[in-house]
Amino acid sequence: MKDNSNISQELFEAIERYINGTMEASELKDFNDYLKIDSEFKTQVEDYKTIFQGIEEQSLKEQLNTFHAEISKPETKNPKFKKVHYLFFSKIAAAAAIIIAMGSIWFFSGSPNQKIYANYFKPDPGLATTMSSTDNFEFYDAMVHYKHKNYDLSIKKWSILSQKNPSNDTLNYFLGVAHMANKNMDKAIPYLEKTTKNTNPEFPFLKDAYYYLGLAYIKEGNINLAKKYLTLSDTDVAKTIISKLPN
Amino acid sequence: MEHANAHEHQDQLINAIKCNNAIALKELYVSNYPKIEALVLKNNGSTDDAKDIYQEAFIALWNNVKNDAFTPTNESALDGYLYTIAKNKWMDIVRSKQFKKTQTLTPERMAFLKKEENNDFNEIENKKLNKAMEAFKNLGQPCKQLLTTFYFDKKSLRDIAIELSLDEASVRNKKYRCMEKLRNQVLDIKTPNSER
Repeated sequence: MKDNSNISQELFEAIERYINGTMEASELKDFNDYLKIDSEFKTQVEDYKTIFQGIEEQSLKEQLNTFHAEISKPETKNPKFKKVHYLFFSKIAAAAAIIIAMGSIWFFSGSPNQKIYANYFKPDPGLATTMSSTDNFEFYDAMVHYKHKNYDLSIKKWSILSQKNPSNDTLNYFLGVAHMANKNMDKAIPYLEKTTKNTNPEFPFLKDAYYYLGLAYIKEGNINLAKKYLTLSDTDVAKTIISKLPN
Repeated sequence: MEHANAHEHQDQLINAIKCNNAIALKELYVSNYPKIEALVLKNNGSTDDAKDIYQEAFIALWNNVKNDAFTPTNESALDGYLYTIAKNKWMDIVRSKQFKKTQTLTPERMAFLKKEENNDFNEIENKKLNKAMEAFKNLGQPCKQLLTTFYFDKKSLRDIAIELSLDEASVRNKKYRCMEKLRNQVLDIKTPNSER
């Protein structure tokens, strides 16, 4: 590769247009003439071509490594530790007290119910991610992460969409299930409730939403609400679960 | 997938790869890896070998798609092609030790040898490319980020400008200065008269 002489921004952008093939015919003609006369310039253009390719190939290489990281360890969940950085100590103490209080309620009231929850909770398998849905790029991008059990990332991405579109049933449903998969019932329940309330009767996930809501309440130890929602879900599995719950 | 749409689907995928669409690349990458890992593990390789060979093959596929050197002929053409490249690469490593002289000339093998010749021809070109990649890898973060967003993610200057809350002209200028920085580093790596 040759020499260090500076290339102006204007010339650089012309070279870029040339390499990308976006040059207009008249400019292209001049450019080609120039290339023929000046071999040093030709080398410089070749160097730029190589550098552009290098940028793309290196970027791809780095992206492949992030893809690969998700293959080898699909379950990376340390969200709680990350969030702790943003909290003050007093808040941590308060949170800890609440967790201990809730934990002891669970401990004394519902350990058989926890077993029911553990036996029956499986995250929704998710929607097929097709290439054609480019208009829903962000939604399906998050869906890919969800399917790889990378729930934090999918929650993050869906939450952004949800801010724009807070009453989207499908979005709320998957946000709810993803939070449940992350064992975060407090956050899951509002999303699932929103799904069941706003919804039209055609909504394909309505029964599933009631079902997950019921499970979430089992996990939370609220057996009455759990029964209510499981009944609304009206599936065979839901009936089986109801029969196992204490009266 | 319906059969009638299969071909169309491959075309869409090809276009998505050309645009470096992250979802498409990821689906392709994630869905094909297990087969290649199984192949390498079955043939005395480790999971690290599998990863290296697979990524090499994936980049080769990406390059060929970008340069229109590959056109899909059926609905699983890309998957098959990726597998074949990875397999050839791995088999070559395995055989290089023992069987090099006694190999039968399968069509695959022929294609591979042909490519090898081209590789010799492109040796100098490759060295330059590696230099460019290495320099870009080590470029400072703000520049690297900007150039990746523009040249790899293919975002428009306008969108980048909005994200950075700058006006378009400053982003353009920034991009130019980053490119100059990168170019100088690429050129400086090589001392004037050593061909290494």
